[in-house]
Amino acid sequence: MKKIIGKIAATEKQPTTIDEFYFWTSKDMILNPFDVVKVGHINGTTTFGVIEEISHITDSPGYLTSYISSDFGDVNAQANTQRIGMNYVKAKVVGNTGNIYIPVRDGEHVSFANANEIQQALGLDKIENKLVCGYLEMYEGVGEEEKVTLPIHFNSDFLVGPEGAHMNISGISGLAAKTSYAMFLLKAIQHKYLESRENASNDSIAFVLLNVKGKDLLAIDEQNAGLQKKDREIYKMLGLDDQPFSNVKYFYPYSGGSLSNTYANKTDLETQMQQNKAFKYKYIFEHDKENLDLLFSNVDDTTQTMESIINYIISEQGNFGGLRDWGGFLEEVGNNCRAGDKDRRDKEITVSSWRKFNRLVKKALRNPIFANRASEQDREIRLRDAIKNIKKNDVFVVDIAKLSEGMQSFVFGDVMRAVYDLQLGQFDGDDDVSQEQIPAKIIIFIDELNKYASTDIPKNSPILRQIIDITERGRSLGIILFSAEQFKSAIHDRVKGNCATHAYGRTNVIELSKNDYRFIPPVYKNMMTRLKQGEYLVHNPIFRSLLNVKFPVPLYKQFK
Amino acid sequence: MIEIVMKGILPYIAKRTSGKSFKSHKYCLDDVKMPGVVYDDRQDLTLKKYGETEKIKQTKPLLKKSQQVQKFSKPLFKYFLDGSRRTYKVDDIAYDKRVYPVIAGQIGVGCCERLEDRCLNKKSFKHDLVLALPGCADKDGNKKELFFNKLVNDLNEQDFIKSKNIKFHKVLSYEDREMQVEEKYENLGIAKIHDEMIECEKKTAAQLTHDNLLNENAYLLKDGSLEYQKMKTGDLKDLSVIKSNYKCVVGVSKSFNPEKCRDKNGLTNATKIAELSLFSRTPAYMYESSRTAGKEGIVKFAIWYLRLRDARYTASPYEGIVKIEKILVSEAEQNNGLDSEEIDLISANLINERNPVCYGSDTRWANHLYPVYLTETYIKSKYLDSRYFINLF
Repeated sequence: MKKIIGKIAATEKQPTTIDEFYFWTSKDMILNPFDVVKVGHINGTTTFGVIEEISHITDSPGYLTSYISSDFGDVNAQANTQRIGMNYVKAKVVGNTGNIYIPVRDGEHVSFANANEIQQALGLDKIENKLVCGYLEMYEGVGEEEKVTLPIHFNSDFLVGPEGAHMNISGISGLAAKTSYAMFLLKAIQHKYLESRENASNDSIAFVLLNVKGKDLLAIDEQNAGLQKKDREIYKMLGLDDQPFSNVKYFYPYSGGSLSNTYANKTDLETQMQQNKAFKYKYIFEHDKENLDLLFSNVDDTTQTMESIINYIISEQGNFGGLRDWGGFLEEVGNNCRAGDKDRRDKEITVSSWRKFNRLVKKALRNPIFANRASEQDREIRLRDAIKNIKKNDVFVVDIAKLSEGMQSFVFGDVMRAVYDLQLGQFDGDDDVSQEQIPAKIIIFIDELNKYASTDIPKNSPILRQIIDITERGRSLGIILFSAEQFKSAIHDRVKGNCATHAYGRTNVIELSKNDYRFIPPVYKNMMTRLKQGEYLVHNPIFRSLLNVKFPVPLYKQFK
Repeated sequence: MIEIVMKGILPYIAKRTSGKSFKSHKYCLDDVKMPGVVYDDRQDLTLKKYGETEKIKQTKPLLKKSQQVQKFSKPLFKYFLDGSRRTYKVDDIAYDKRVYPVIAGQIGVGCCERLEDRCLNKKSFKHDLVLALPGCADKDGNKKELFFNKLVNDLNEQDFIKSKNIKFHKVLSYEDREMQVEEKYENLGIAKIHDEMIECEKKTAAQLTHDNLLNENAYLLKDGSLEYQKMKTGDLKDLSVIKSNYKCVVGVSKSFNPEKCRDKNGLTNATKIAELSLFSRTPAYMYESSRTAGKEGIVKFAIWYLRLRDARYTASPYEGIVKIEKILVSEAEQNNGLDSEEIDLISANLINERNPVCYGSDTRWANHLYPVYLTETYIKSKYLDSRYFINLF
């Protein structure tokens, strides 16, 4: 029997209802928001509640009374008797063992719940296809005896399909540890699928991660030297091994001449090359010209002139047919920019439009990743070719951190298209694609989603369209988007609306004042401004309420 | 055995006492303005004799003493006793062409203990439901006590009482006599219920002594006067019992009539009390109560006044002053008065009880001591709701 901590108080002004109840407790009882409490109810059932708010009251009707009680403002005044006070707690009803939802009765005992009861209360006891998403700690302040630590599981069908898909993580940059949480989940998924491979399951998965910050994800198959024993114990408790990611391949943007396109250390890069796990990616005109529209994803093209030019080029009109390299392409664009040359130019596209196109494209194509050919011997590769050969449980890390914003969009767009095409069966006829090896599901992880899918992005942006398409149709195609951003409120409604799972890390107050957070009770909101690194509020369709979830430090190498 | 089939308390009583119930309007008597029964301060004090060993003529400032006490010792008062009652007129009943009110009451007597963490906790609590009927309700009148005891026992056996999960403690009888001008039967009934409450208080104090809980480091502070009417009932049958029970008990009255406090020339002492400076006490005087006479003679009290609040902040000069009483127990005390050291110690401890205050919650905040206020609040919180109680009848 767990400790009784108080009694239900139903008053005229604050009655207990179907949704909530109040109870009083000692002013010294250390409780926290999200702690589960249980209350005896009729027919021998038990009602569970999650703590939402804790208030302390005394019998003092006003501040003046407190002032007078200190000898009319003497700060040194002492009293023999402590003013009577107690804490009253507001809890949200999350369930009843007999599905009885009439309000709990005044005077009923309120007590802590044990681990099984907590699972029952939060709807975690009957989860199928378990996929660990962290752990919760409850009754922390009360003492080791009462403290409960529980692993929390998603039903993987609701995270990576087919029931629900896509995950969005939001929070302040750095303090929220968004990447770490996404990587923790991805690790859990890989672990689960590697295990299920041993169990000969038909389901399979692969991962494509975009590294957008420094060297964050450039050594995810290497051990974290800072991992402590206690961290390993947490992984053990969660049912995960303490090894970093396996089957990892890194794709670095090709650097040429003096321009380096990556933050990766040269020796690290070479080591990875020697270990056959790193490649340099390039874009070849002949194969990648159809992705030219991606270079214009952040350009406001209301009159659709850029789109017309791209169509003109892709359909090989004018002299664009037969071009083999970017140099020739640029030359031809230059030709179209010349005034007075009426024979060679599409009459509907003005010279000024061609000139704008030229300006934009010329700047982008200066990057060495736009090359004439990719040499296999030098471990150079086209990303699209790499992705179409992705195998079950592979983890592809595509480094775009050092690229310009426009180029980042270009590469990300290309990756999404390649994954999309692969899952749609566009590569089925290709000789080098093995049907058996194509994973049933591919998870794409992208940080800084604000850059690609915010409400400020032009509506005709091909990347935004692609992201919306993935979030709306990806579940059935086996494309799952894991995204992270600082300002969730700025993300396109159709993108976040289609995410089944949401995780909220530490968030700033201004962001919390937005409509997206209206459903969160005020105390939880305040808590969100104080969440520690490694702590998240998670919302998933199978959970009965928001959960305060913790996760351990990453298993892979951390660059400080 | 009379076969009673009538349901409801009043029809049952009417039937059992051969009276006629009028089913009159029921109301709480404490809500209406009625001449109250003030027991707090009924004594006509003539201060002829000093009640303490040191013969001080002026008032005595005690701030320094109280600070020392607070710094170097634990609070003297550990237990706090209060009693209260709530009365209701629930019906009129006719006996022999005379109509008498039926008074019902809830009595609550509670004692709280102050723990080491400075918080108050319940020590004991008693909640009794009582009825007051005129003495003539017993038509025979030869064994009144037996009659009313049987009445209450039979009443409690009725299903309509049992089903409500309540129990009446006593049916009291008030005096049936010719009423003087402005005198009312209601007041006699209320007084009877009040007496019952006092009895209950006395029993609680006796129990504390019996349990060896009161000593020189753990005093009982009782709300109101210690000057009980004839201490002859309950466990206080003789003076020696009174003395041992009240050795470590101090009575503190919030309200008193300063006009009734006279000096040896018979002149009122009201000005002297009103002018009492902050955290000072008057000299203690000895008072012999004829009212409190026990079997073996009169009871002597030491009485003094103490100002707890600055008169600048109170509505009248007497607000912020409490009247303190202590029964003189030993022979030496009865002859020479209470030891002035003890009076100072009690006063200093009472000064230290001045905070916190119940300002805003109780209009008597300036005279109230917080632990007593809390005990009172506790008792009141245990009462049955007045509407519910009235509708039991």
